[in-house]
Amino acid sequence: MAYYILKRIGYMLLTFFIVITLTFLSMKLLPGTPFKQQNRLTPEQLNQLMHYYGLDQPVPVQYVRYLWNFIHGDLGGSFQYGMQPVTDFLWQRFPVSLQLGIEAMIVGTIFGILFGVIAGMYRSTTLDWGTMAFSVVGFSIPSFIFAAILQYVFGVQLRLFPVAGWNDPWNHVLPVISLAIGVTAEVARFMRTEMVEVLSQDYIVTAEAKGLASSAIVMKHGIRNALIPIVTVLGPLTAAVVTGSLVIENIFTIPGIGTQFVESVVTNDYPMIMATTEVYAGLYIVTIFIVDILYGVIDPRIRVSGGGK
Amino acid sequence: MEHLLEIKDLNVQFNIFGSTVQAVRGVSLQLNQGETLAIVGESGSGKSVTSKAIMGLIPNPPGEIASGEILFQGKNLVHYSKKQMQKIRGKEISMIFQDPMTALNPTMRIGKQIIEGLIKHQSMPKSVARDRAVELLTLVGIPNPEKRVDEYPHQFSGGMRQRVVIAIALACHPNILIADEPTTALDVTIQAQILDLLKELQRKRHTSIILITHDLGVVANIADRVAVMYGGKIVETGTLDEIFYQPKHPYTWGLLSSMPKLHSKAKKLQAIPGSPPDLSDPPQGCPFAPRCPYAMKVCQEHMPDQAVLSDTQRTACWLLDDRAPKVEPPETIRAGGE
Repeated sequence: MAYYILKRIGYMLLTFFIVITLTFLSMKLLPGTPFKQQNRLTPEQLNQLMHYYGLDQPVPVQYVRYLWNFIHGDLGGSFQYGMQPVTDFLWQRFPVSLQLGIEAMIVGTIFGILFGVIAGMYRSTTLDWGTMAFSVVGFSIPSFIFAAILQYVFGVQLRLFPVAGWNDPWNHVLPVISLAIGVTAEVARFMRTEMVEVLSQDYIVTAEAKGLASSAIVMKHGIRNALIPIVTVLGPLTAAVVTGSLVIENIFTIPGIGTQFVESVVTNDYPMIMATTEVYAGLYIVTIFIVDILYGVIDPRIRVSGGGK
Repeated sequence: MEHLLEIKDLNVQFNIFGSTVQAVRGVSLQLNQGETLAIVGESGSGKSVTSKAIMGLIPNPPGEIASGEILFQGKNLVHYSKKQMQKIRGKEISMIFQDPMTALNPTMRIGKQIIEGLIKHQSMPKSVARDRAVELLTLVGIPNPEKRVDEYPHQFSGGMRQRVVIAIALACHPNILIADEPTTALDVTIQAQILDLLKELQRKRHTSIILITHDLGVVANIADRVAVMYGGKIVETGTLDEIFYQPKHPYTWGLLSSMPKLHSKAKKLQAIPGSPPDLSDPPQGCPFAPRCPYAMKVCQEHMPDQAVLSDTQRTACWLLDDRAPKVEPPETIRAGGE
């Protein structure tokens, strides 16, 4: 198991390295410079600035220098914010995005599993069709539409929840729901399919033949086996929710990393582009790693070299 | 003497896509304490559905028990509620299944799968139940049970898994064990071991066994009595010797002839030509008539009654009627039965 984890970590580092390289190279293809008033600068002044920040050197040299600094924990300063270290921004903003994403995932997963199990248990009934209709709607409509609707109805009209901000727990309700609807829909769909599949397995008949009550069969033999494939969906879904929340962050003016990311690309803020991408990539890679480990915990068959025949 | 289990005129049907499939059509059976009854027939003859009906495991919808009685110790299980049936299943009547590779929950330790029934039926504390699980694994011949009780199904071979399935079925000392093709999915050498195990367990515990199979070799090995099913009906019943040495029904003849024999000179296996009847539109007369080499006009039109040939043998065939021509069983049968 330790060897497996070490190997996985090696691959993760490799993936991360490739992401950095590709991002760096494609970022250099962006037109323009990071300097805000470049139109007012004379070519000489511009060259001077480029030279000062080392941007006039060949891309491979810049790339190697970036890597060197990166290894030493220096991600550079933000051009937009007077060369203030980008890590300052990340420490400030990333936890907010992460919190929003995780809250939405928790809410979405719980309701998704619940709806999926119910639909799977009572398949081909009104309950099943109702749940699946909700799922299709939740799945097809983007989260920012829900965000706008929720904001208008509960924020503006009913004044139950604040329309913007993040500091108070009440602030979390609307953005979390907006993001969670899609998660619920996706998880419910998968969970239903898996439940239907699992409940038709032979070992469910074995459990029935033991005389167990149907509730016990669903709880002990059904859900756990149905959850296994769900875990694989959850990893990418988490990454998608955390990284995809930038529109929601904008709608509810949440000071997360999503807004920062968009801004940095628009203004050619190179270190910031790199840093935000690295956070996203790192997050994605780590989630998938965690999912693989979880997979082994839930399904003993794929527990790596854990005893056996 | 009262039978342990008596099935009277059981009819089971499945309503699928607007048509009704009559899987079991008027089956009557008896099972006595401590005996092994084999139900033999080809796929779709209704033998598995009969066993599922006894367990109350006919999926509803689409299936239902249309009529008939299943009397277990004199009580009619057909009228039992879901809750009442849960108390019968696993405790009074247990079942082992065809494919041990899929019959166990892959994510649950086998010890836990064995004791689930015990905890439910005998409200046994977990620690005691664990000891029982180890005992049961020893009983079904699994080496090193102390350790294996905490393992998962994928760590067992097919034969070992079937032993685990048997241990699960035996956990609560059931009166009746229904074995639905228990050896079909196993290697031949393992088959013999599992059959020996069933015989031994029956001797030790006086459990009655209903064995569902299409394998006459298995039947010869283990059964006391045999019921031959075809097209949802029982066409012949009798003791093992009666069925193997004095079969009277042409379908039984066909089954016996199609059994491969070691000393046979024939190069090809005998087969019964044709295919089983469509039970969504069952034939009016004898279901075997279209494939029967001796079929008469009456066979197509009327189902024959069960002719009583001895205390134990009953055969539903028009050939046994006084007016029918005398027909001798084919060569392969008279020679057979070794």
